[in-house]
Amino acid sequence: MNKIPYIIITLALVVGIGIVFFGQSKNNTDTGGSAQNVEIRDGIQYITINARGGYSPKVSTAQADIPTKLILKTNSTYDCSASLVIPSIGFQKILAQTGEEVIDLGIPKAGQPFQGLCSMGMYNFSINFN
Amino acid sequence: MSTQTLKTYTFHVSGTHCPSCKIFIEDTLNEQIGIDRTNVDLKRETVSINTTLDENQYKLAEILTEKIKHNGYSLSVEKKDGERKDNEIIWQALPIGLAFLALFFIVQKSGILNFGLGGTVTPVTSFIIGLIASVSSCLAIVGGLVLSLSAKVSQDNVSDTKTFLLFHTGRLVSFAALGGVLGVVGNAIGISFTFTAILGLLASVVMLLLGLNLVGVFAKNKVALPSGIFNFFRSIEHKTFTPLIIGFATFFLPCGFTQSMQISALSSGSFMSGLLIMLAFALGTLPILALLSFGSASFAHGKHAPLFFKSAGVVVIGLGLFALLGGLAGLGIISPLFNI
Repeated sequence: MNKIPYIIITLALVVGIGIVFFGQSKNNTDTGGSAQNVEIRDGIQYITINARGGYSPKVSTAQADIPTKLILKTNSTYDCSASLVIPSIGFQKILAQTGEEVIDLGIPKAGQPFQGLCSMGMYNFSINFN
Repeated sequence: MSTQTLKTYTFHVSGTHCPSCKIFIEDTLNEQIGIDRTNVDLKRETVSINTTLDENQYKLAEILTEKIKHNGYSLSVEKKDGERKDNEIIWQALPIGLAFLALFFIVQKSGILNFGLGGTVTPVTSFIIGLIASVSSCLAIVGGLVLSLSAKVSQDNVSDTKTFLLFHTGRLVSFAALGGVLGVVGNAIGISFTFTAILGLLASVVMLLLGLNLVGVFAKNKVALPSGIFNFFRSIEHKTFTPLIIGFATFFLPCGFTQSMQISALSSGSFMSGLLIMLAFALGTLPILALLSFGSASFAHGKHAPLFFKSAGVVVIGLGLFALLGGLAGLGIISPLFNI
């Protein structure tokens, strides 16, 4: 049996799966939204992230050294993104299917990457404070 | 008026994966003129025959293989042949398995599973959510587990239909019962994240082990599973309650959809409404899961069985890795490696 065609197909599929898994990180940064999803009201910075079939925006940029609250919006969210884990602050909760969850982040310091993910680990988001 | 001397030959056989193979090979070979008292030793993978034919052993192996090769078996004088064939099958199984994985992840990424279902959760919506869940990333754990166990059970040919019926019954009954309990208990308790995460890790390790076993890594490279673990699998496989327990345990496996349904059952306020929500959800996931288990059974008894087992092994290893890395990230042990 000639193995070569099978090996070629295998390699092509490995590359394809690789793109599905890791390719997104490139167009993540320009999904925009960073500007709109961060706002400062009454001296408190609010970062809004939508949770449904993943988190968006996946990467946000916010200011460091001011009191910050994270708002997670769910809208008929039944998938894994409703079960939110934020390891750095020990947050674990299954969010309401539709609603807003406000999480107090205190006063984040610059340069500390902040990351949240769903409990099965296949969706995540991160916020850069600077 | 030739003198018919009776000779006994022993051949190595490949492709035998079930006790019924023994009966089939023995019957088929005994039908051949000049051959009788065929005996298949499944454990040693050998076939011995008594023959009055004058052909040499190599020629006989060829002739007899011709009779049974359509069912995926072949005879050889040296054992090597079988292993080489095994090596070739993996090159077909690898692209097939990877193609299924690629399809699965592309569907996840496309977001077509994320359409909205507004309003309150009724048994009808939870049934639909179950349907979606069964093709979603939940499939990585529950489906992967079902596929790996089904393929393994069919391979070892523990009466598989009965085992699968017990598994699915166990799953439906425990979802209904636990949903009812959640409805009564209300918001007083939550199901622990860490507990489900650890259970998920356990499931992914089982998937990886079974996947490697299906692909044949253990058999070929003689990297035997510690015999304790293997015997443990063997012995629990044969117990009636095992599939029931596994069906029960799937309630706690980490799956976003299951968890949101559990929350809905929690807040539904009564035993009946909690029961109906979880039962409808489990019924929604049933078609795909039943397809996985009964589908693997029918493949396992067909002539492409070796290819099926190896392809299933590749799929299960992929899903197991996905679940393992995700689960470790979810526990905060490693940083997330991917974002579907």
